[in-house]
Amino acid sequence: MLQFIADNIGTIVISALLLAVVIGIIANMAKKKAKGESMSCGCGCSGCPSASICHDQTGQGKN
Amino acid sequence: MPTKIALAGNPNSGKTTLFNALTGSNQYVGNWPGVTIEKKEGKLRSDTYKDITIVDLPGIYSLSPYTLEEVIARDYLITENPDAIINIVDGTNLERNLYLTTQLAELGIPMVVAVNMMDIVEKNGDRINLDKLSEKLGCPVIGISALRKAGITEAAEKAAELANKKVPMTPKHRFSDELEHAIESIEGLLGDRVEDKNKRWTAIKVFERDIKIMERLDLDDSLKERIENIIDGCETDMDDDSESIITNERYLYISSIIKDCYRRKSNKKMTTSDKIDRIVTNRWLALPIFALAMFAVYYLAVTTVGTWMTDWTNDVLFGEIIPPAMESFLDSIGTAPWLQSLILDGIIAGVGAVLGFIPQMLVLFLALALLEDCGYMARVAFIMDRIFRKFGLSGKSFIPMLIGTGCGVPGIMASRTIENERDRRMTIMVTTFIPCGAKLPVIALISGALFNGAWWVAPSAYFVGIAAIIFSGIILKKTRMFSGDPAPFVMELPPYHRPVAGNVLRSMWERGWSFIKKAGTIILLSTIVVWFASSFGIVDGRIVMVDDVNDGFLSKIGGAIAPVFAPLGWGQWQATVATITGLVAKENVVSTLGILYGFAEVAEDGFEIWGLLASSFTVLSAYSFLVFNLLCAPCFAAIGAIRREMNNTKWTLFAIGYQTLFAYAVSLSIYQLGMLFTGNGFGIGTAAAILIVALFLYLLMRPYRERPIEAASVQASM
Repeated sequence: MLQFIADNIGTIVISALLLAVVIGIIANMAKKKAKGESMSCGCGCSGCPSASICHDQTGQGKN
Repeated sequence: MPTKIALAGNPNSGKTTLFNALTGSNQYVGNWPGVTIEKKEGKLRSDTYKDITIVDLPGIYSLSPYTLEEVIARDYLITENPDAIINIVDGTNLERNLYLTTQLAELGIPMVVAVNMMDIVEKNGDRINLDKLSEKLGCPVIGISALRKAGITEAAEKAAELANKKVPMTPKHRFSDELEHAIESIEGLLGDRVEDKNKRWTAIKVFERDIKIMERLDLDDSLKERIENIIDGCETDMDDDSESIITNERYLYISSIIKDCYRRKSNKKMTTSDKIDRIVTNRWLALPIFALAMFAVYYLAVTTVGTWMTDWTNDVLFGEIIPPAMESFLDSIGTAPWLQSLILDGIIAGVGAVLGFIPQMLVLFLALALLEDCGYMARVAFIMDRIFRKFGLSGKSFIPMLIGTGCGVPGIMASRTIENERDRRMTIMVTTFIPCGAKLPVIALISGALFNGAWWVAPSAYFVGIAAIIFSGIILKKTRMFSGDPAPFVMELPPYHRPVAGNVLRSMWERGWSFIKKAGTIILLSTIVVWFASSFGIVDGRIVMVDDVNDGFLSKIGGAIAPVFAPLGWGQWQATVATITGLVAKENVVSTLGILYGFAEVAEDGFEIWGLLASSFTVLSAYSFLVFNLLCAPCFAAIGAIRREMNNTKWTLFAIGYQTLFAYAVSLSIYQLGMLFTGNGFGIGTAAAILIVALFLYLLMRPYRERPIEAASVQASM
């Protein structure tokens, strides 16, 4: 077992990192869905050119 | 109970600036119409008066029932009965602003008129006699400058004082004797149905046959008949319709005020903005200038400046630097071949393919931000109104489409400012025909890889979108579902100003950063899924990793669907899969093609980037692929926005179905007729294309019929 880990440490570490990134992205998307935002639109409102139409600068959403 | 003071006035009169100054809240002051369509409230900052709420109403030109903003504002004033009104009036445009003042005075609510921009009035050398104006209007008039916060406390405290005294406003102005007689008769007939303080305003609205007021009053038929006789009599004697009679008389009264209270220093000279608008909104020059502007934007972004930088990111950064460095690193730590393939051929190939277009996207966003910040984009809605009106929409429908050049989601949401439900639904359906920022990598890829960066490809993508909107508008407006006259469109053109570097760069960066974040999240996830699905397949009954993507699961799934797109010229499973992944995010079209055509591998072998892709498409099939992906159903985020705004599953499915069918028909026509004209023979596809074009022409040319129901309701109201 230990030998297996030693022989494949690079693969295990990189896989674990990648898995952590994927889980993080999915968790973030789930959080967005719970807030009623779109999961697949990664934009975020601050980057949207129409943020000023939908949101006032106090951050209270209209939509 | 807190005292409520309503802020009412024309758009761009400085209401929101005054609201911010009085309450300390931060409100955005923008150039688009319909920026505020909900009321905002805030506590007045005052040492003398406590517990006073200021309500910022939508900017309105009158209390008619034609626009959503007007209906919201007057419903608030009638039903919620604020204790006082501050009517903010633009001192540099007194005559136009006083029209609303005369209507507000009739509501009977205590009112203060705050003449704003007095600093500019004085700078121009003009003079307003505020005391005389107060005498003429019958209410206090105070000069202010909301921007400089001069006089605002005085205006607010005067309003608070009037609210506390609860003395109703009695309008000074009287109409002509005959009209006054008619109004008094109607007031008598209304009796106790209406409060005394609102009676005059209500009677005037009844005289104008205001639909919403009549619905609210719900009068019996005999009373309606008597009122109608009074109105008819007046219209016959004065030889005009009731609304025009009231409007004319108001303006006569306003003219008398202006004559006595306003002194202009000299004849109004044209401002720089006016001079520019004479050319930019000219009947003949406006459209060519707009076409030139958008051509320049896309040409700069995709073909010239953007391409020079994208060539470096694609060829060098994601070609010669990152893949070899990552491969070397992964080799050095002994990473398994499958994981190396996932990272290099999946993630870096896919995400790298998309990130390679960042320079072009930044140039596009910069150009759009420049046009927005200088004030030109506000004119475009006005310019397009002339065309849109020809097929039953108004320029107000073009505003969501302008917003959609950034992202379709806010574009679809901006359709809320359209009052007419049919026009709103139609606008939602066609808004995503305009290429959004996410479609730019697709445009840039096809233009660069398959058309050698030809100058016309990228701008043509934008104009294909515009043409699709216009054709769809004409076709749909001739159907029972969408027929009807366009709504009136009134829009104030803000003055031009030099773009502020900070605003422009911030807008460019914010959009660009959003794009990068999207690449690192949803697109990265998609590339992983695509890599797994294309790298694994069934061989000899076992699921194994395959060497050739054509043996993977994805090729089987894509291969089953691909024949649907064969008539469009791109029946390859890779193109089909790329189009389907585009539903998640349009950038995925590029990332999927990058994985399936071996973006990273091509770079390592030294072949020209996207060489394999180029060999899989002809010029015609490439353009057909581009047009389909531009016009078909948008990404899931936009579909979600359509569903929310339509608030109806059937309408949502209809919208998506229409967009996809339209895209299919157009792409098929382009490919098949292109094949015919390039001497590639006549087949079933060609016949289908000819039939489709004939159907398009018929739907465009057929006569316009009004809805029978509409005609009946017009008949009933006469």
